[in-house]
Amino acid sequence: MINIDIVATAIAVLTLFGIYSLMAISLNLEYGVAGVPNFGKALFVSIGAYTAGITYTRLLPLLSGFEVIHPCGPTMGGALQLRSEIMATQPVAGFINLGLTMLIAAVIAGAVGFALSYVTLRLKEEWFLALVLLVGGETVRIVVRGADDFICSHNGISSVAQPFYFLDDPRTSSLLFMLLALALALLAYLYSERLIRSPFGRMLKGLRENEDVTRGLGKGISLARAQIMLIGSAIAAVGGALFALNTGFVNTNDFVVTLTLDVWVMVVLGGIGNNRGALLGALLIALMDRFTQVGAIALNMSGSDVEFNYVRFIAFGIILIWMLRYRSAGLLPESRLTTGAHDVVRRVLEK
Amino acid sequence: MPEDPARPLLELKSIRKDFGGLRAVDDVSLDVPKGAIVGLIGPNGSGKSTLINLIARATNLSAGQVLFNGENISDLASDEVFRRGIARGYQEPALYFKMTVLDNVLLPVKDQRGEQPWYAPWRRYWQGDEAAHAQTAVDVLAQVQLLQHYDTLASDLSGGQMKLLEIARCLMGRPELLLLDEPTAGVAPKLAYEIFQQIARLRDDHGITLLIVEHRLEILFDFADYVYVMHLGNLLAQGKVDDIASDATVREVYFGD
Ligand SMILES: Nc1ncnc2c1ncn2[C@@H]1O[C@H](COP(=O)(O)OP(=O)(O)OP(=O)(O)O)[C@@H](O)[C@H]1O
Ligand SMILES: [Mg+2]
Repeated sequence: MINIDIVATAIAVLTLFGIYSLMAISLNLEYGVAGVPNFGKALFVSIGAYTAGITYTRLLPLLSGFEVIHPCGPTMGGALQLRSEIMATQPVAGFINLGLTMLIAAVIAGAVGFALSYVTLRLKEEWFLALVLLVGGETVRIVVRGADDFICSHNGISSVAQPFYFLDDPRTSSLLFMLLALALALLAYLYSERLIRSPFGRMLKGLRENEDVTRGLGKGISLARAQIMLIGSAIAAVGGALFALNTGFVNTNDFVVTLTLDVWVMVVLGGIGNNRGALLGALLIALMDRFTQVGAIALNMSGSDVEFNYVRFIAFGIILIWMLRYRSAGLLPESRLTTGAHDVVRRVLEK
Repeated sequence: MPEDPARPLLELKSIRKDFGGLRAVDDVSLDVPKGAIVGLIGPNGSGKSTLINLIARATNLSAGQVLFNGENISDLASDEVFRRGIARGYQEPALYFKMTVLDNVLLPVKDQRGEQPWYAPWRRYWQGDEAAHAQTAVDVLAQVQLLQHYDTLASDLSGGQMKLLEIARCLMGRPELLLLDEPTAGVAPKLAYEIFQQIARLRDDHGITLLIVEHRLEILFDFADYVYVMHLGNLLAQGKVDDIASDATVREVYFGD
């Protein structure tokens, strides 16, 4: 029998929900609203995680007045001990480091997203971008994995502590981290809702529906797409930084193509173009993740050889195909959000 | 550049378009004077739509030049051409079918501050502009009898209403030149005549110059000042309506008599 700690499970699921929400909202802005098929979500998420890997090993000691110990190779243990100690004793340095991590991650990912889409979308059509991102994400992952000094190649960086690690009670610490993740997700949600209800959002939807007509109506569509890729990628990278803190590891293995697939399932399942749908999708996948973990342990303890991860992939594949076939609008279809112009016209007509 | 009043608003200089081996437009030169309603007719496949696409820069020229207000616009992209003052309709209605009538007409408004992502989340920067554009949209939609349908999805409109919405959408960009490709296609005869009355008012009230591709010659001839006839990519004839209507070669290619 396995004992399930309800509170701990709830905290874990909700933390994951917050992190997944950031990823799902970012893809919803890009694909759901603007129709840009970003198949490189894992790349932008990984930029956030790798940034954390760098800042927690190179920046954090500086912020708290220590010398940097090289995190890889023979000094690995010493570096690990140092960052744990700092996170346990110097909360302010920890918070500053976290803030800078998210900022740097967002800036780098945003710049990469903008540059890649601007160049590729000017040259070729959108599926070319999808391909570039898919291949590019995997290439970056392999390069980072091969680089000895960056995040210690295949070893990765471990013991990347959460910002509330300095608290004595681990449960309070993880509860506060959960709240942080949820607060950032809420912020991203409110921001993207405003974006969708603006003339910018209207233009993006126009782009999604008919690119040629939108260009013919005077809109600089390459720029608009690059802009939404910048925004989406920045949000995804913040999610990636939190993802690393949540697991405590920065490892290239976490950013394979299946992560991209997960985020796509969230958006397709929840409702393309609808932020609330993206949140619902994020919640469902967070729950499913947790249950598959429990299921995997149970399966393992029962002595079965079946690898539970495969069950998960198969289930996701089936969900995707089924949704696209029978409910292509998702569980929560897009609603008609407007800028408020309709109210103006209604008032004119009522007069 | 001092404006020459005699200079045509639009000048095509030996423009050509090849699709692989097919020459869809072959060395066509024509002028559209300011404030005129110019008709462009010709049998199916004679290159009329291709000509419109070339002017709007929706496709690239194989050769020749397009001058607008005396400036060469041959190398511009279609978005820049629209911003310079050329709006176009499509032969097959190309609306935003999943958007409301109102959103369809608000989207093409030029220089919207709220279209810039850093202003977009903050309503106070663009709400005033948006309300003003909505007021303009009320006038434009009323003009084409679509005001009551402002909240309808474009896909739910009738064929004639779609054509009118397309014109309204163009107007919101405040064009100097409007290119229309069969504005009455698939529209009942009575409504077709009304559409042309609307079009005439665009010229009379707003000073908009028009180049119109049209198959319904009897209606077009009532409104056009000047007509060009295309045949197999070439310009076959041109002249005032009466001359074209009685031109023997035109009658031959067009009506087969
Ligand atoms: N994108 C394209 N690729 C290849 N050929 C094309 C393309 N567009 C048009 N054509 C060809 O160019 C010729 C002119 O076509 P166009 O559509 O301009 O004729 P049109 O005068 O508008 O005819 P209609 O009255 O039927 O609308 C036709 O032979 C057509 O098949
Ligand atoms: Mg045509």
